[in-house]
Amino acid sequence: MNEDIYGIFLLIVVGPLLLAIPALHSRVPWPRHLAIIPALLLIVFPGDASLAMPWFLFGTGFAVDGEVRWILVMSVAVWLTAATVAKSSRRNPAYDRATPFFLLTLAGNLGAVLATDLVGFFSFSTLMGYGFYGLVVHAGDAEARRAGRLYLIFLIVADLALFEALLLAALTTGGNLQYVVVRQAMAGTSSSQLYLWMALAGFALKAGIWPVHLWLSTTFKSAPLSTTLLLGGVPVAMGLLGAVRWLPFGEIAFYVLGMVIMVMGVAAILYAVLMFFMHAPLTMFPVWGTVAVTGLSVMALGTGLAHPAVWRQYEYLTYPFIASLGMFLAALTFAIGRLQDKRQAPEVDLQRVEVLSPWGEGGMGVIERWAEDRLLILRSLWRDLRLKAVEQYQRIFDWGKPAVFIWGWSATITMFVFLGLVFAWLAG
Amino acid sequence: MNWDAWIPLLVIASSLLPGLIIFFLAEDRKRLRTTLNLAGALVKLALVCWMLWGVYHEHHYETRLTLLPDLELVLRAGPLSLLFLTLSTILWLVTTVYAIGYLEDSPHRSRFFGFFSLCVTATVGVALSGNLITFLLFYELLTLSTYPLVVHRGTEVARRAGQSYLVHTIFGGALLLLGTVWLYTLTGTLEFTPRGFLNDLGEEHRPALVIIFALLIAGLGVKAALVPLHGWLPQAMVAPAPVSALLHAVAVVKAGAFGIVRVIYDVFGVDFAAGLGVTEPLAWLAATTIIYGSLRALFQDDLKRRLAFSTISQVSYITLGVAIAGPIATIGGVVHLVHQGLMKITLFFCAGNLAETLGIHKVSEMSGVGRRMPWTMTAFTIGAFGMIGAPPVAGFISKWYLGLGALEAGQEWVIFVLAGSSLLNAAYFLPILHRAWFQEPQDAWPEEHHFGNKETAWALLLPPLVTALMALGMGMLASAPFSPLGWAQFISQREFYRP
Repeated sequence: MNEDIYGIFLLIVVGPLLLAIPALHSRVPWPRHLAIIPALLLIVFPGDASLAMPWFLFGTGFAVDGEVRWILVMSVAVWLTAATVAKSSRRNPAYDRATPFFLLTLAGNLGAVLATDLVGFFSFSTLMGYGFYGLVVHAGDAEARRAGRLYLIFLIVADLALFEALLLAALTTGGNLQYVVVRQAMAGTSSSQLYLWMALAGFALKAGIWPVHLWLSTTFKSAPLSTTLLLGGVPVAMGLLGAVRWLPFGEIAFYVLGMVIMVMGVAAILYAVLMFFMHAPLTMFPVWGTVAVTGLSVMALGTGLAHPAVWRQYEYLTYPFIASLGMFLAALTFAIGRLQDKRQAPEVDLQRVEVLSPWGEGGMGVIERWAEDRLLILRSLWRDLRLKAVEQYQRIFDWGKPAVFIWGWSATITMFVFLGLVFAWLAG
Repeated sequence: MNWDAWIPLLVIASSLLPGLIIFFLAEDRKRLRTTLNLAGALVKLALVCWMLWGVYHEHHYETRLTLLPDLELVLRAGPLSLLFLTLSTILWLVTTVYAIGYLEDSPHRSRFFGFFSLCVTATVGVALSGNLITFLLFYELLTLSTYPLVVHRGTEVARRAGQSYLVHTIFGGALLLLGTVWLYTLTGTLEFTPRGFLNDLGEEHRPALVIIFALLIAGLGVKAALVPLHGWLPQAMVAPAPVSALLHAVAVVKAGAFGIVRVIYDVFGVDFAAGLGVTEPLAWLAATTIIYGSLRALFQDDLKRRLAFSTISQVSYITLGVAIAGPIATIGGVVHLVHQGLMKITLFFCAGNLAETLGIHKVSEMSGVGRRMPWTMTAFTIGAFGMIGAPPVAGFISKWYLGLGALEAGQEWVIFVLAGSSLLNAAYFLPILHRAWFQEPQDAWPEEHHFGNKETAWALLLPPLVTALMALGMGMLASAPFSPLGWAQFISQREFYRP
């Protein structure tokens, strides 16, 4: 393990926390992007690395290896996209008020990804959870408040369940809460069933897995795009990552529990498909997509509990799977969000295009104003060019709804085929 | 007497002497009063640091003065007393700075600071007591010195609150005295001894010892605000904010909780008390208080009153920790003595800032206050999350050890109490935070004072920021050497494992 990058490790968490102070981030350009840079550096840093922090909480640490790097890459990509989307809407007065919560959530998320033990993961994911609450409610309207309230209730109950699981784990291991130690210890103890239930309930609530997905759908309806595109990569992916790290998959068989979880996964997928056909405004598509994809993950987790040998065989795929799931959900949410934005525009209006532009006035807008003041002829030429570009852009998105419809059908059919294969494999 | 024997006396004198001088200072001698206050607090801090270093290196600090034949006033610095002593000394310094800012230009400051110093003298005496009679003396001095602080405003409501406080605490003091005298007649000694001094008493004394335990706990339970003896505490919140901070975090309530710890560890001994069958009912009483206090806090619109009921709930964690009678729960209970103090004093300082700067007294008036007073509300947020038990604030460490200790001792029901309490804490603290940070500010604050471009005066802002950072630091750096957690582990080891 390379121990030369302690500074980067600390900056990944401390940087966003410091920048969350309003007096600091209001004086720094692009604070949200700036806070992600240390994580980006860690990704490009070659090899594995770790930082032990025996003085922090009960003694925890950070580490990055091949598996963690998958999640880190996904997180950085999602956060960078969210930061850019948020910056494009910074004329909204809520933008500045949301910045500290954005940065707190970021610090918690990256800390949880890098944490090497259960207490570290729990602490940082709690920080992430409460920070995310700020992002959910910062729009300030009644719908956002309702979503926030729901999210908070689910979060508190989840944290309580995970806290109880933590206590059981600490009692069993004598205080050593490294992931590997806990997974092995909890496989051979009488309290493992209770531990499993507590941890599963906690992470299901945190990830918004069916049937406790209510906060997820409410948040999708009420929050701005910069927040909704974080949902898949942050709370959902962290919930699944937590389950993989905390639960003794591959160590011991819990056949009945595993089968129950698998059935719940199938039910989640069916529910998502049903809801998509019965109640399918375009904005809700990412919700049902998330429910379906998390249902698929739950099926995989159930398989791992019921058949440890299968889990051990495919264990190496879990981190890439979670990373691609987070990335996919973020991409889907982003695409639908942008499509929705475009479709809501009554006509091609340059003023509105500027607001919707991912670069906003900080980039092209400033140049355009400069041209407007000084070079009128160039400005008119420029305007015509942009108008043409936007018309092209709109035409592409006009194809969006049929494309999404076709995609939905093909995904559903694929899932049913996949389900059939799984059941055939289980039966055989 | 050698030098080491003088140090406990000097610790007492470092607040007693400035306090006595301050009584006779004219109101306009502001600079001298401030100098005396701060000098006393700093000297005390230096002496306590000296003792901490000494106790860590096995030095023995003890003062013995004969009061009556066979009855001595004993001041002794052990690990448990130093934990409480350090807490009260540090928080006294911070509260003094806060009180100087808070009472700027208000009347009767010499009287206030005189009694303030006396109150801390009594608290330090309680911490350093080496026997039950010394404890009792300082415990009663604490009652008498805090009464003038509670009624300081001189209003009718303050007088009524003071009356209630006096009636409750004098009744509690009488029970404590009765229990102490009875115990003395049985044993002939009142000397605090690790693992208690009752082990040699015969079986025939068990019923008497159960009643004595009940008398002592009832006497201490008044100040520790155990249900149903808690009535004075919500009323006493009419006192000025520095007094509320002192009552809830440093002095009175803590003296009661500390007394319960002393009685269980150094009078009865944990094993003996558990064998007597008195710890389990005490644990249930503490659990009832925890839930009751949280439930009552839920329905209070007055901010300080909500915090007062929260104190009733939170202080009983200490009692619960020691009543579980196991080494890990002991760590949780003892360390919460410090953690609760830091978190609660932060919350009361913030409540004082809101009242002094914007005239806000009610939760319903706090909409958008986070934008007007971001630093104060940041400190409040840290304190509130600590109370909920969210990591990495210090409250998480306390709840962790209490929960783990309960599981280790086979008392799983405590987990439900902790979970219920955390839920209730979240239910009465998070709406405050939501209102402060996410709701739109009202058109005008009830009574706004301006402090240039600052949100409030520095003397009011710095103390809550310092205590909030300490609460955060004690959670994050729990495993660091010399942390309160390390000290609590040392105390638990002495009580349970040392031969």
